[in-house]
Amino acid sequence: MTDAQPLLKLDGIARNFGAIEALRGIDMHVDRGEVLALLGDNGAGKSTLVKIIAGGLRPSAGRMLFDGAPRDFATPAEAKAAGIETVYQDLSLCTNADVVANFFMGREITRRVLGIPILQERAMEAVVAQAMAEAGTTIPSLRTNVENLSGGQRQAIELNRFVHWGGKLVLLDEPFAALGVEQTRRGLAMIRQVAARGIGVIVITHIMAQAFAVADRIVVIRQGRVAGDVKSNQTTPEAVIEMITGGTLSGAGPDRDRDTHDPASETEEARQ
Amino acid sequence: MTPRRRALIEFILDNLVWLMLIVVLIVFSLTVPRFFQFGIFANIFEQSTFVGVMAIGLAIVIISGNLDLSVESTAALSAMVTGLLFATQGIGMGITLGADWLLIPVSLAIALLVGTAIGLINGFLVIRVGMSAFIVTLASFIWVRGLVVAISGGRSAQSLPPAIRVIGIETVLGIPLLAWISVGCFVVFSVLMARTPFGRYVILVGGNPNATFRAGINNDRILWAGFAIAGCLAGLAGWLLAIRTSGATANLGTGMLFNAFAAVVIGGVSLKGGIGRLPGVYAGVLLLYSIHTAINLMGLPAHFTQMILGGLVLAAVLLDTLKLRLRERLL
Repeated sequence: MTDAQPLLKLDGIARNFGAIEALRGIDMHVDRGEVLALLGDNGAGKSTLVKIIAGGLRPSAGRMLFDGAPRDFATPAEAKAAGIETVYQDLSLCTNADVVANFFMGREITRRVLGIPILQERAMEAVVAQAMAEAGTTIPSLRTNVENLSGGQRQAIELNRFVHWGGKLVLLDEPFAALGVEQTRRGLAMIRQVAARGIGVIVITHIMAQAFAVADRIVVIRQGRVAGDVKSNQTTPEAVIEMITGGTLSGAGPDRDRDTHDPASETEEARQ
Repeated sequence: MTPRRRALIEFILDNLVWLMLIVVLIVFSLTVPRFFQFGIFANIFEQSTFVGVMAIGLAIVIISGNLDLSVESTAALSAMVTGLLFATQGIGMGITLGADWLLIPVSLAIALLVGTAIGLINGFLVIRVGMSAFIVTLASFIWVRGLVVAISGGRSAQSLPPAIRVIGIETVLGIPLLAWISVGCFVVFSVLMARTPFGRYVILVGGNPNATFRAGINNDRILWAGFAIAGCLAGLAGWLLAIRTSGATANLGTGMLFNAFAAVVIGGVSLKGGIGRLPGVYAGVLLLYSIHTAINLMGLPAHFTQMILGGLVLAAVLLDTLKLRLRERLL
């Protein structure tokens, strides 16, 4: 990335629920075109952090910089307008409607005839076909209802829709929990494609293999703090598990292959 | 399977009810004496007007994921208000406006307002208060009918002035004006449902309100509009019914709800919401009244009609399940 400024930068993000400190000062960043895997045990604070980024919760303290500007999202809609969205597998699709209707949901192309907005189906189908082709997603017919499509295809529609409408940072919460082996493989490939188009991706997952397969960097949250922030090619699953469970912190920093460092990990190191 | 064949099968499955209508009409024409004449077909058209207009609104509410059991009583209230204000005999007040031509627009506007008001009351209780649509509209079904009896004292209004009755008497191209009105309503609302963002949103909200909410669509506005349209069209049906019968009785229109529901279900609308098209509903209405007419012509006692229609509704639901399985297998 030539852009030195990260897409998203969190600075001492904390969140209390009454006396309980769910997050105790999270510092992390996501670059454009980077896939970041967010790991942590149950109750580590992952969900709270994701909600704060996506506008579902407000931090008790700390600063969030997105796209170079300080942000404080009051609602998910505000975050969405800024280009941050959580992509779910099913929650955001109407399975009783076709791919085109879902892709354009709420943003239909219309032309006024006698003052009445009329849907321009051909124009919309062409846009969807192009967006799908650019993303390398193949769906048999854009006019089939989503209920006839597989879980992976549904996720592809959601992701492509997000990218098409100007999304900049996408949060995927356990994206492959319900998918089979082959679908998961395709899903991981799709995430790489999305990232290749300059979009920041945060994947929340439990499965170590997936994290290593798809992520450029792994951030581990433990007891409301960042317990590790490492490039995935500079660590091992064993080291990450230690970070999650709170064993020794060997291998928790970018202490190997120092020659291959880029500026991003340099700043990372400086902070630690 | 080639895309063309697939498209053809899709098309047939989507329009199965029209196919059924054609088959039924051919069978009746061949087997029922005196069925195959222009007058009979015109009559089927005319008879299906009232339930047809009502079924449009009902279908839209059901597609949006709600339910409106009150349409029959709402139509009766509109009819009674029309009769009460403008009929010249019985309890009719025989209000005359300055000019005769004003009678139609004024009485129509009043009927539509009455219907829409009931629809909005239903909408308020379901959407704002958050009560179940089934209970709210069942209650409306009862209290609105009660209101009809109350304002009429159980008596009837007769003899609407000729200036209004034109609507019920006039024919265009040999087909009653009433039939044209229902065809016109179906065309207008079919375009609204299939070709405008509003219609698209009704289907999407009926399918997954979470998704539309996340996409920034104002779900409540769509649901409000659904109830308002159902009430408004029920009001129109009541107005037409009052004109056709030249007045109103306290029990006018009883049994229409069942017919409207049957037509909607036969027409391929899923009670779960999100699925259904208005042209199919119109075919359902025509199918229903073709069967009514054939039973009349055959001289069967009227109580057989209900059994046959009940069976037809079951068959329609069964067919829907069958269609789903066929689709899974073939596509």
